[in-house]
Amino acid sequence: MNANDEKWLKAQLRENLPPVSGELERDLWPRMRARLESRPHAVPWWDWALAGAAVVLLLIAPQSILLLFYQI
Amino acid sequence: MNTHPYLRAYMAGTFVPTIVVMLAVCSFAFVRYVCGVVPAFPVERFMIFPLAFVPSLWGVWNLLYVALKRRLPIGVHGTLLVVLLAPLGLTVGRLIGLYSLHANGFVSPQGAQLPYTVVVIGAAGGLIIYYLMWKYVVGFLNRMLGIA
Repeated sequence: MNANDEKWLKAQLRENLPPVSGELERDLWPRMRARLESRPHAVPWWDWALAGAAVVLLLIAPQSILLLFYQI
Repeated sequence: MNTHPYLRAYMAGTFVPTIVVMLAVCSFAFVRYVCGVVPAFPVERFMIFPLAFVPSLWGVWNLLYVALKRRLPIGVHGTLLVVLLAPLGLTVGRLIGLYSLHANGFVSPQGAQLPYTVVVIGAAGGLIIYYLMWKYVVGFLNRMLGIA
């Protein structure tokens, strides 16, 4: 690549790419804060129901806890 | 962190059963040596399967989950492990003389009975607990380790 090619390439890039500003277009902190405060892994109600069902089953038959110790 | 994803998956998978087996051994030791209650089944034979098989199989199952590009939800994938573990556990228990099968249920060498109804209830509870453990604990560890 000679000097002319380099000039041509620079000109093409300036023409075709949008200018890059040093400043952010918007404040990103509110979005970051909202993401931090959101609960993306909240437990759905059916999983609470399943957990309750498991507890009830273990209370009905406490001996089955042995089976759980055996399998987990 | 893109290196050794299968090693990380294996380690994340072994976490839960490693903790559970520690709690189980501590519980048995407490009941036996602090409370002075002799269990009605051979504890040393009972612990072979949870110690020797279960943690490794959990690790391999999680490795498989990553290797298969997470085709199933992790809770469902983990629940399917019961299909492999239950017959294997029963076979190992039978081979090492942990129990014998009778008309009413499983009977230990010391004569303790575990009725089939309890086994069915335990299996149902186990499926639920497997689902929840895989979905929340293993899933969390996978996310933490960057393999989810």
